[in-house]
This record gives sequence, structure tokens and C-alpha cells, in this order.
Amino acid sequence: MIGLSHYLTLSGILFTLGIAGIFINRRNLILLLMCVELMLLAVNFNFIILSRFLDDIAGQVFVFFILTVAAAEAAIGLAILVVLFRSRPSVQVDELDSMKG
Amino acid sequence: MIEAVIFYFFGAVLLGAAIGVIASRNPVHSAMFLVLSFFTSAFIWLLLEAEFLAIVLVLVYVGAVMVLFLFVVMMLDVAPDRLQGGFTAYAPQALVIVALVVAMLGVVLWAQPGQLSMLEAPPRAPPDASNTEALGAVLYTEYVYAFELAAVLLLVAIVAAIVLTMRKRPGLKAQDVPAQLAVRREERVRLVRMKPERDE
Amino acid sequence: MTDLWYGLPAELQRTLVVTSQVLLLVVPLILSVAYLTLAERKVIGWIQNRIGPNRVGPKGLLQPFADVLKLLLKEIVIPAKSSRFLFVIAPLLAIVPAFATWAVIPVSPEFVLADINAGVLYVLALTSMGVYGIILAGWASNSKYALLGAMRSAAQIVAYEIAMGFALVGVLMAGGSLNLGEIVRAQEGSILHWFWLPLLPLFVIYFISGVAETNRAPFDVAEGESEIVAGFHVEYSGMAFAVFFLAEYANMILIAALSATFFLGGWLSPLQGIPGLDGTFLAAPGFFWFALKTALFLFLFLWFRATFPRYRYDQIMRLGWKVFIPLTIVWLFVLGALVWFQVGPWFD
Repeated sequence: MIGLSHYLTLSGILFTLGIAGIFINRRNLILLLMCVELMLLAVNFNFIILSRFLDDIAGQVFVFFILTVAAAEAAIGLAILVVLFRSRPSVQVDELDSMKG
Repeated sequence: MIEAVIFYFFGAVLLGAAIGVIASRNPVHSAMFLVLSFFTSAFIWLLLEAEFLAIVLVLVYVGAVMVLFLFVVMMLDVAPDRLQGGFTAYAPQALVIVALVVAMLGVVLWAQPGQLSMLEAPPRAPPDASNTEALGAVLYTEYVYAFELAAVLLLVAIVAAIVLTMRKRPGLKAQDVPAQLAVRREERVRLVRMKPERDE
Repeated sequence: MTDLWYGLPAELQRTLVVTSQVLLLVVPLILSVAYLTLAERKVIGWIQNRIGPNRVGPKGLLQPFADVLKLLLKEIVIPAKSSRFLFVIAPLLAIVPAFATWAVIPVSPEFVLADINAGVLYVLALTSMGVYGIILAGWASNSKYALLGAMRSAAQIVAYEIAMGFALVGVLMAGGSLNLGEIVRAQEGSILHWFWLPLLPLFVIYFISGVAETNRAPFDVAEGESEIVAGFHVEYSGMAFAVFFLAEYANMILIAALSATFFLGGWLSPLQGIPGLDGTFLAAPGFFWFALKTALFLFLFLWFRATFPRYRYDQIMRLGWKVFIPLTIVWLFVLGALVWFQVGPWFD
């Protein structure tokens, strides 16, 4: 029987993988964005799991709004990335140091 | 029984895909792994009786957001070997952070094992119950202001993305439909009366 | 025989029933895809005053099988610097959504594979996945023309999907349900009760967007054989190419069937509601009418291809973003007013 702890463990591992991805790939902006999406997915997972187990639809409403915000975030993030790439041919995080004093 | 099979199968694929996202050397492959993980998540969400959100996840993420990602990755055309390479460079920090997060989650999840397993899943909804209707019923009443706010947020995001990426390039031949329609015959056609020429 | 059937465990019985239903739907679908390719060549032939293929079998009727056989026997060339796995899997990603969407389409009053509540959403989600096959094919081929074609078609598909989505919002406002069977039932009455009339702009936009969505002429810049040779599938040969080809035609049939379901009353008879005919077999709903309406839209696809010159790429984008999307939004407001004031005979 699959219970609450199974589901929560799954989303926990997913979240941890997202964090690990950010640390492993911290030189590439695109991959950083993807890892953030992965973490958001894990958060959504938790909301949906608890919405099911507590029998409360409010959790799903939250996921709805998170999806909206995440879509907006991805659109603007990628737009910034494109603008960045136009001014300098790199999306490496460690090369973005022009603000250094 | 069938629930366990679905859960373990899609859970395994999901975690494998997530590892693929963070470990593949080519960002296009990463993006495709991310698509796969969204898709498998949708199946598990179906298992959790969130049909509407499962389909919306596929529609919004797989259908729109990830296409955008793929677009940007392909258009920016960064050589794959330059992109990563430092896979192991940050591994120690990653390990420390991961260990911390695992410890924190572990405390919450497994420290008091009795508490979580006490929470039993409510019985399955009848087959004709509509998750979409249930969600809509609260979304348009209780959460209507938040809903409107989300709409405004999306509008702001649209405007922001356009403003950020729009640029006027010189020499661009854009179509000006009103100008095309306003053209009159006299401006384009000139009738010339010519004397017949004769070949000698 | 019946004893043998009832002796089986219930799970197995159910699996067998569902499998046979799937086969009942998919096999005719594949056949109609095959014959659509023949129909296209014949119809365009007639429009251009030719006879079209007429050599293989009686009147050329076995031509599709000859084509399939030829493509099966050809070698599949995988470019040396391509991304092998993605290159091979891309055609499958193109064809699977085109077939999977059929699960929720009611082909007759009795027959629909999965009568799910959120049918319209399912349709939207699956049709939005078709773009992956094209993008991946273009990228994995590691070829300029393929990538250019893939970029063009992906941008086009994403743009027109929004207009299609808005048109479907209109349909579900009018139908009051996300279930495709319910949407058809909401159009019951007569030919004037069908949604093509109150949703006329959305209907036109939906179908034209569908043509753009399937990358068909006059929106076929993705293939653009005169500028970028064949676009995203330029590196494909043999059966891999054939799968892309089949996916395109399966998508055409899908768009035609969806237009028929959403706007022309699906399996409802156009002769319903006419005094004297009601109650006779002419006014009875059935699969025949659904097939007839789908065939009508398919003919339009072929007619378009033989008639219109290809759009320029910036014109396609302009039409999608600056004409169709605003128009659909305006009509949604009009529709809202119609529903609010319960304008008959549709919304009373």
C-alpha cells in the first residue's frame, strides 16, 4: 500500500536533486533555471500529495497559482537570458562579473 | 496493488529523469529529461486525484515552457563542452548541501514515523466526480482575487518579456498592411503610349 | 465460446475489451491516413486537370501500399554527427500524440474510448506535444536546413496554438462542458443549433489555425521545399520519413475530426429538426455523419493546398499574433454577452 510517506519521500528526493543540480551546474544559467523548475515541481508535488491526504482542495489551488507564477518566471528569465546573450556571447555565471567593483 | 506498480514505475522514471537533468552534458538533453520528468509527474498526479492539474502541467510545462527552453537553448547555440565541464568541480559543496537537506527532510519525515502513517488517504472519489469542477468552484469564489492577481501577473510577464527582447533592427522589411491596402492604381501603373517600332 | 469468455478473470476481460476497442479505432484510422495520401494526389490531380496516380491496382487504389512497401525497403540513413537517440525517437514523438488524442473523440453516440470529464483539456495538452517531434528532428539532424525548418514550425505551432486554445474556450463556454460528448449533445436540435453559427469567427479561426498547426499549405514554410529543401525532415529517409509523413496526415484527420465535433455537431445529423424528416433514419445521429463532416474538412485541406500560394513567414506570424488572437478575445466577450442574455436558440 502506497502511503503518505512514500509520496513525500519521492518529492523530497526530487527537491534534493534540484538543489544538487544547482550546485553542480552553477556555471550555466540555463541549467540553473531548469533546476529551479525541478525544485518547483517538487514543491507542487507536496501540495498535491497533502491536498489528497488531507482531503482539502486548497492545496490544488496553490499549485494552480504556482504554475502561473512559474510560467511567468520562466518567460521573463529566458527573456533576460536572451538579452544577456546579445550583449555578451556567454551564459556562464562566472563570466558575468562586470558589476565587480 | 495497481497503484503501487504505477507509483514505483513512474517514480523510478521520474527520479531517473531528474538525475538526467542535472547530470547530462548537453543542455538539450537536460531539457528533454526535464520534459520527461514533468510528464511522469503528471501521471503520479493523476494517481493523487488531481486530474485537472496533471493535464495543466502537461499543457503549460511540456507544451509551452519547455518549448521555450528548447528554443532558447538551440538559438543561443552554446557549444556543449563549454557549458559544463565543471561537473566535479563543485561536487564537494553539492554533497554538503545535499546532506544538510536530506538531514532536514529526514527529521521531518522519519523522526516520528507514527505520525505520518497515521494519516490515511480518504477513499477514492467516485468515477463521475469532476476534479475540474471542484477546483473551479473554489477558484472563482473563495480565491477570486488571487485568481485576478495571477491574471495581472501573467499580463505583466507578457509585457516584460516583449519589452526585454524587442529591438528595432535597421533594414528590417516588415509588412505594412494599411500602406499596402491604401495603394491606388495610379501610384503603381503608368500607361505609356509608344510608337510602334519597326525592325528594319 | 461464451463459457470460455465468462471463465476469464474480470481484469483480463476488461483488458481484452479495451484492446479490441483500441484496435477498432486505430486500424481504420491508419487505413484512412494511407488513403488520405492517395486522395490528396487524386484530388489535386483533378484540380490541376491531371488524372493522378492510376497505375497500381484498379484505378490506382493500391498506390498507398506500394508507397509503404517502397519506404519500408529503403535504408534509414542516420547522419554521422547527429544525436542518434533523439534522431530515432523524434518521428515517434510526432505520431504518438496524433493517435493518442483519438481516445477522447466521440465518433458515434455510443463509441468513445475514454469518456473523460476533461476531454477538451486532454486534447489541448496532447496536441501541444506534437511540436517536440519536429523540434527534436530538426536539432538532432545536425543540419542547417533541418534546424531552420524546425525553428520556423515550432514558432508557428506555438503561435497558432494560442488562437486554437482561445477558440476552444469559446466552445466550452457555449457547450458548458469539457467533455466532448457533452459538447456534441449541447448542439442538438437542428443544423442551426450547431456551434458554427454563434461561434462563426471562432470556427473559421480554429480551422485556419488547424491548417497552420499541421504545417499544411499555405502555411507550410516549415517544409518550404523551394527555400529550405524540406525543412525539419530533410535528413530522414525510408520508414523514419514515412512516420513523419503519416504523422502529418494523422494530424490533418485529427484537426478535421475535432472541427467537426466542436463546431459541426459531431455525429448529429444535419437533417435533424426538419419537419417530416424527424424520426426517419435521415435525422438519426450516427457515425456516418461524423465521417462525412470529417471528410468535408479534409477536402478543404486538399483544396487549400491546390489553391493558395505559400504565405511568407512574417505574414504567418502577423496573422497569428495580430489578427487571430485579438479576434478570438473580442468574440469571447461577444459570446459572454450572448450566454448572459440567453440568446436563443443556442443558449436558452
